[in-house]
Amino acid sequence: MPLHDVGYREWQGARLGPWSAAAAIATTGIRLAWTSRWLRRAVFLAWSPALFFAASFFAFEQAIDEGRIESLQERAARGRNLDGIGLLGTILADTLGRSEQPSSRPALSREAETAATRRLVWSRLLLAFMRAPQAVLLAVVVGLVAPTLISRDLRAKAWLVYFTRPVGRVHYIAGKLAVLATIVAAVTVLPALALWMAGVLVSPSVWVIAETWDLPLKVIAASIALAIPTVLLALAYSSLTAESRIASFAWFATWAACWIAHSSLVTADLAAATAPEAAAVADAADIDDDEWRPPPQRINWLARAAGLDTTIDRWSWVSPYHAIGVIQAWIFGVETRPQAVVPPAIALASVSVAAALVLAWRVAAPMRA
Amino acid sequence: MTPAPVPVRLDGVVKRYGHRTVLDHVSGEVLPGITGLVGPNGAGKSTLVRAILGLVRLAAGRVLVEGHDPAREPHVVRRLVGVVPEDECAVPGLAAVETVRYAARLCGLPATEALRRAHEVLDWCDAGQERYRPVETLSVGMRQKVAFAAAIVHDPRLVILDEPTNGLDPIERRAMLGRLTTLAHDHGKTILLSTHVLPDVQAICDRVIVLAAGQVRLEGTLADLTRPVVPQLRLELDAAVDEVAARLTALGIPVTRTGSLSLQLPAQHAAGLDRVWRATREAGAVVRALEPVQERFEDVFLQALAAQPQEAPRAAS
Repeated sequence: MPLHDVGYREWQGARLGPWSAAAAIATTGIRLAWTSRWLRRAVFLAWSPALFFAASFFAFEQAIDEGRIESLQERAARGRNLDGIGLLGTILADTLGRSEQPSSRPALSREAETAATRRLVWSRLLLAFMRAPQAVLLAVVVGLVAPTLISRDLRAKAWLVYFTRPVGRVHYIAGKLAVLATIVAAVTVLPALALWMAGVLVSPSVWVIAETWDLPLKVIAASIALAIPTVLLALAYSSLTAESRIASFAWFATWAACWIAHSSLVTADLAAATAPEAAAVADAADIDDDEWRPPPQRINWLARAAGLDTTIDRWSWVSPYHAIGVIQAWIFGVETRPQAVVPPAIALASVSVAAALVLAWRVAAPMRA
Repeated sequence: MTPAPVPVRLDGVVKRYGHRTVLDHVSGEVLPGITGLVGPNGAGKSTLVRAILGLVRLAAGRVLVEGHDPAREPHVVRRLVGVVPEDECAVPGLAAVETVRYAARLCGLPATEALRRAHEVLDWCDAGQERYRPVETLSVGMRQKVAFAAAIVHDPRLVILDEPTNGLDPIERRAMLGRLTTLAHDHGKTILLSTHVLPDVQAICDRVIVLAAGQVRLEGTLADLTRPVVPQLRLELDAAVDEVAARLTALGIPVTRTGSLSLQLPAQHAAGLDRVWRATREAGAVVRALEPVQERFEDVFLQALAAQPQEAPRAAS
């Protein structure tokens, strides 16, 4: 008998409620997930785009501090795209170019004009940050973690560990969701909030906080909009199989296939819209139809992510990435047109509800066997 | 004073999977102490355990665990119960002590206390330093001990064990049975032991439920079930068995020789034991034992299985 064996003793202490079980599932799940070297690498990698965007915040605030915003505005008004500062230049050109419409806006003081410009620029930078690099990185990170969360329990019959104890389906699913929500926070929310804080620190005055106080809330809301459908879909895939490889494949295949489908549809639309014009050009130049190519898109990926493409993407609901992007643009106030927002919102809500139903059904499946 | 509720009461429990009836009007009680749940493969033992935990929806009947219906109050019931499932199940990647601690936290113990209690219970289960190894790398016997520790870490009032001695060597098996006896008799736990190992049942169980084809074939205390239909006494001597047998027969007591030094006589002659003593003394023999004859539980079990399902279950009085 071990020296420290005190025999069996009865437990006299209090017990916590069932949500403590959900917390235990979440903390243990996070700890187990973090043992993956690939996950650690992916999370650290997910912070690297923030450095690039932080440089943009710094360049913008520096321009304000040095009083160069008017000269930039003049260049924007002349149609210059301010290529010298990359994405920030594109955003500035768009933002300042739009602000050159006196009839549509009342005259503002210089400080008010600066504050309004700052809000627009910061919003678009944060939106571009969340839509372009972080959404893709999130898909990778969730694809590393989520497939194993439930399928591994099914494979190891670990569901008995949970459901022979006072743990309900709701608590189990909530615990697993919390694992992914934490990872979503680590990949999107925290870097975006750090970016906002960096903007505050490089700005001339701390009163910038008062001007942009709502942006952190919008970051959180946009992350929730990103997290709910992706996390539910990933867990639903995980619950459908005991082989995590199959769940991983399904997850990445969904993103890739939907992205390709969306690109194909948009390209087809673009070709259809420009075909008569191109045909006319081809006739005039006496060029064969075979040599015709659709005109190149002038707005790059990051700028599109920042909401600079004002055309309505009527196929956004086909792809989770693009649908989430539209909803995030709506949260940041960049996209307000109902015909652009409603279809992807309905698509994402449908996917979320379907995934939640599959999840609830599958989690209880072993007990029905 | 209100009497304590029966740990488990089964009342006409029916469970069907499609057209197959797995539990067919199962009624009975699991009382304090150790109750053995025995039956052949496919008898419905695991389904009955799931019904007690509220994991399956019943077609008819009712289960009550300390007065709580698991179908309506599954969380209340599962707080009262600790389960060692037949299937090996563990969260991959966790060490043994983390597994037990995790089980404690799932049952609502605070994090720090859960760790302390996990170590304490693993010490009691003699898990040694193996506790720091991942569960999937442990031997089968050690995994059984960890599963048992995880089942009792929250101090449940009812412990349900499905084949808990699988994979244990004879020493560990005896130790495991000893732990069950300690829990039942020293700590007042109710234990439901589902097993195929009949010697284990005979060694520690107070009561037995024999299940076959979804029906209860036998239920009662082990002593009652193994008592012969015609009560007999076994007389063990040190010598002169033939002479003692002759003298008893001459006194009108029919005896049967059952071994080189033992006789069996009807128990209704127990009132005239003084004649037995006298005959033995006169034959120059010494009585080593005089005890009621018990049937082997294995024989009782096989007889119960051989009986037709429509025959009324033999409930011990």
